[in-house]
Amino acid sequence: MKIVGVAACTVGIAHTYIAQEKLETAGKKRGHEIQIETQGTIGVENELTQKQIDEADIVILAVDVKIAGRERFEGKRIIQVSTEIAVKSPNKLIEKAEQVVNAQK
Amino acid sequence: MEVKDIVDIDTIKTNMNVKSKEEAIQKLAEVLLANEYITDVEAFLKDIYAREAVGQTGIGNYIAIPHGNSDAVQKVGVAIGITEQEIPWETLDGKGVKGIILFVVPKQNDGSKQHLKLLSLFARKLGNDEVVEKMLMAKNAEDVKAALI
Repeated sequence: MKIVGVAACTVGIAHTYIAQEKLETAGKKRGHEIQIETQGTIGVENELTQKQIDEADIVILAVDVKIAGRERFEGKRIIQVSTEIAVKSPNKLIEKAEQVVNAQK
Repeated sequence: MEVKDIVDIDTIKTNMNVKSKEEAIQKLAEVLLANEYITDVEAFLKDIYAREAVGQTGIGNYIAIPHGNSDAVQKVGVAIGITEQEIPWETLDGKGVKGIILFVVPKQNDGSKQHLKLLSLFARKLGNDEVVEKMLMAKNAEDVKAALI
């Protein structure tokens, strides 16, 4: 399936990017297409396009702070957790996303 | 510029004989002072502990990432400590810590965007279990750097 998401932590220096890496690795490992946008001290990177968002089966927000552009995900199925959860249990989070998407079908 | 440009051999300490988080952070701060990354150990430590109070910096896999966001910082960088034994730390998986990655960032960082970008790429590496495993096994600073780049 297709997963998009955003990672953003309080300071915007470390957890954001560790969460991104862990989620993307976990998603790819389970055969999904996944892109996680980061919103940190250096601004937005790996930015999602509206097309990617529209095509995504699910959105994962690993965020500790208010993010920019949340309205882009309006109407989408969203799982929101803290960056800590994404860092600690990325695999479980992807499995959870699969469950949510499969339950929808 | 690449990730290796942000990893400074002089601020990597392996086989650290420390028993506590406080001791480890203190030693790394002293290394940063000696290498002119920071101007004041005490002010730097105060800012690190302010961040520690907000939430766990132990990210699991024996790694902790304390943040030194401080006015006492004059150069963006990272200090890495590999300890001889596991030390107690507040962590996401309840284990102790063997690798301490101290992020060194000035509070006013308008002029350091390029270095912060490198730091973000560096942080991503810490999300890779293989990299972390290799780093924790390192016996000297060169090995630590090799694991990370």
